[in-house]
Amino acid sequence: MDKRRYFTRKILNALLTIVLIASFNFVLFRILPGDPARLLVPKGRFSMDAMAKQRANFHLDKPMWEQFIYYWKDTVQLKFGDSFAQKRPVAQVVGERIWPTVILVGTGTIIATAVGLVTGVIAGWRRNSKFDVITTNSGMVMYSMPTFWVCLIFIMIFSTWLRWFPVGRMYDPGVVYTSWFSQFGALLHHLFLPAFTFAITYMGEYHLIVRSSLTGVMKEDYVLTARAKGLSDSNVLWRHVAPNAMLPTVTLVMMNIGFVLSGAILTEAVFNWPGLGLLSYDSMVQRDYPVMQAVFLLGSVAVIAANLIADIMYYYLDPRVKA
Amino acid sequence: MIPRRLRTWILVWTPVVWLVLTLVTYPKDRPLDTGFVHLLGGFFAPTVANYPAWIPLLLAIALAAYGIVKLVRQAESSWFPWALIAAGAEAGLWFVAASGLFHGHFSLSGRDTGIAWLFQTVLIVLIAAAVYAWGGASPERAELTVWNTRQIWRLYRSNWQGMAGLYIMAFFVAMALLAPFLANHAFLDPTAQIGLPFAPPTLAYYHWFGTTEQGMSVLAEFIWSARISLSVGLSAAAISTVLGAGIGIAAGYYGGWRGEICMRLTDVFLVIPWLPLAMVLAAAWGQNYGIIVLIVGITSWPGTARVVRADALRVRELQFIERGRAIGSSNWHIMQKHILPNVFPLIFANTILVVAIAILAETTLSFLGLGDPLNFSWGTMLHYAWDSGAAGLPAWWYLLPPGIAIVFVVLAFTFMGTAFDEVLDPKLRKREESGGRPDEGTDRLLPLGGGVGGTESLAEVPGGGIWPGPADDWDPHNDTGGRP
Repeated sequence: MDKRRYFTRKILNALLTIVLIASFNFVLFRILPGDPARLLVPKGRFSMDAMAKQRANFHLDKPMWEQFIYYWKDTVQLKFGDSFAQKRPVAQVVGERIWPTVILVGTGTIIATAVGLVTGVIAGWRRNSKFDVITTNSGMVMYSMPTFWVCLIFIMIFSTWLRWFPVGRMYDPGVVYTSWFSQFGALLHHLFLPAFTFAITYMGEYHLIVRSSLTGVMKEDYVLTARAKGLSDSNVLWRHVAPNAMLPTVTLVMMNIGFVLSGAILTEAVFNWPGLGLLSYDSMVQRDYPVMQAVFLLGSVAVIAANLIADIMYYYLDPRVKA
Repeated sequence: MIPRRLRTWILVWTPVVWLVLTLVTYPKDRPLDTGFVHLLGGFFAPTVANYPAWIPLLLAIALAAYGIVKLVRQAESSWFPWALIAAGAEAGLWFVAASGLFHGHFSLSGRDTGIAWLFQTVLIVLIAAAVYAWGGASPERAELTVWNTRQIWRLYRSNWQGMAGLYIMAFFVAMALLAPFLANHAFLDPTAQIGLPFAPPTLAYYHWFGTTEQGMSVLAEFIWSARISLSVGLSAAAISTVLGAGIGIAAGYYGGWRGEICMRLTDVFLVIPWLPLAMVLAAAWGQNYGIIVLIVGITSWPGTARVVRADALRVRELQFIERGRAIGSSNWHIMQKHILPNVFPLIFANTILVVAIAILAETTLSFLGLGDPLNFSWGTMLHYAWDSGAAGLPAWWYLLPPGIAIVFVVLAFTFMGTAFDEVLDPKLRKREESGGRPDEGTDRLLPLGGGVGGTESLAEVPGGGIWPGPADDWDPHNDTGGRP
């Protein structure tokens, strides 16, 4: 397919999906029970005037279609109103939570992808060997384990019994670090357990899909040709088979990175990691609708963006797309 | 004459179905000091089969409508439609009794009949009679069905993963069904302490898994939780399958702009982060398992829809569809009679995989505190364990049982799903192993094509092969079921 046409189509598709999701978001938070204005007015200063003022403030007194237009204006300008719980602009609240999540999910994904790819390739290459049976079955067990349960068990083993790692948070509360080096060390110390749990729950999935796609690739003619040319086993595996088997994994990894929010909620909630996941859990507990709305939108846009990046990467990685 | 094997099946499975349905509604309110003998009386308790009145109503409408359609369409007269209509009429009577119409206080959710268990028993017997009549009226089709089922079972049995999954699931289903016999429901009451908070396990029965932060029996909670976890998972998977299969078949069969709309909708639902959405909905609509079933159901269908659509696209191009169009079959007829049966194996295997996902989803939502506070599921147990800081004590007896049970159940359904995937659709297996398009892998729910071990091919299984059809000298009126 022509390069420009391919990219235009993918980008337009992504934009259309974002528009649909954002409209869905509008409808979703309009059908929730309760009068939002009632929630916005502080308890001590309740009066009908204050209610009317807040309604006007959030355009809740306008007809639905006009609200829809205002909603779009605000969304494009990233104005999501004020958080009920923290009394600060939502964009600010959400903004400062992004980095912790990126650190946690980034580290976790790198570990999971690295381990999953290597074991998956070896298991697929030596199918039905002892290594394959052991890793694939433990991969299925990892896939079946609920994330939060793994978190709790790891806390029990590594924090309570062995006392190797702290129970949660990013830094110990109240500690002032003397240098950025000791601060970085403390961060790593706190990061290890959540990142490792996060990695464990995705590792199994990556292992299984790499193994499955490797098995498919190994039946291709060019693998036979490579062998017939007399290439060594490792050469065939790492030069000819593995790169092609990576393709479905790219989609999966990108998809999972897109779902970072859903994936991080449980890990962050259990480990008290101050990222977007903990923010969305807290805002659910406190019924903090503006924050929930922003987080939900951000999460959907992340998935769409990740999908788009996967499509663009595909264009360069897989020559079959161009044909 | 009904095929002998079908007759045996009816005789075996009718009591089993009766027992399962009775156990599901077996009374929970048993005093703490009741002995075992009293338990048997529970089978005839007024609460058994005491469903809300709309369930018998739906059953009555469905059975009667199906029976009437069959009666109008049947070529030779048989008892089959009449048995169906009789079953529908009986369900109608049940509805009238359960809704309070007799007493003049009608309500669709009313349940004021003390003999619901009798209605249920008679209904099961009537449906069994209908199946019996069907077998007698069309012995050839019955024979084919029996043969197919046995063939699938043979293949399935040779797949060790599938069998392991089946055994694990049978264990947990038995535990869930027999819960009233295994643990007294009265121990789930927050006031029913059996010991100190966080007491470690001892050998006494209710102390096997220690106590909770309130001094309640973890074992009793664990056993009763199986019911909620399994039933929520199964019902959510049912909703998800109906939505996913319907949209997938429609998108695949129609194609064009209608298919495009369906797929755009699927894409939107596919990119919605399901957990935040479910949290918003559960927080807003309240905390009960009906809502959770609905949420998990409407957020987990897009995967099914994409897989089913891909398969429906393949079936649509087959020749008998063209033949169907040529003789003027309606779209609805083609989808129902040709596409659905051909896509069905995939849907079935998919459903089992979705059950695993749905159970995990339910557990997650319950863990976040969105479950029903009045009922226990394994996720709710872990929620309380987390809330009370069991991991810091460490109260391992409180954390391990529910978690291990979840892992086993999810693993069991995953194993069964992959096994059925291989058994029911050998074409799928071939397509996957041939490499195919690069993005094909993303359409599957789980990338597990051809698990370790795997299934033998049809030819290697004793008695396997293509149905030979009825033998030349086969006499439907004197069938011995393959015996000399």
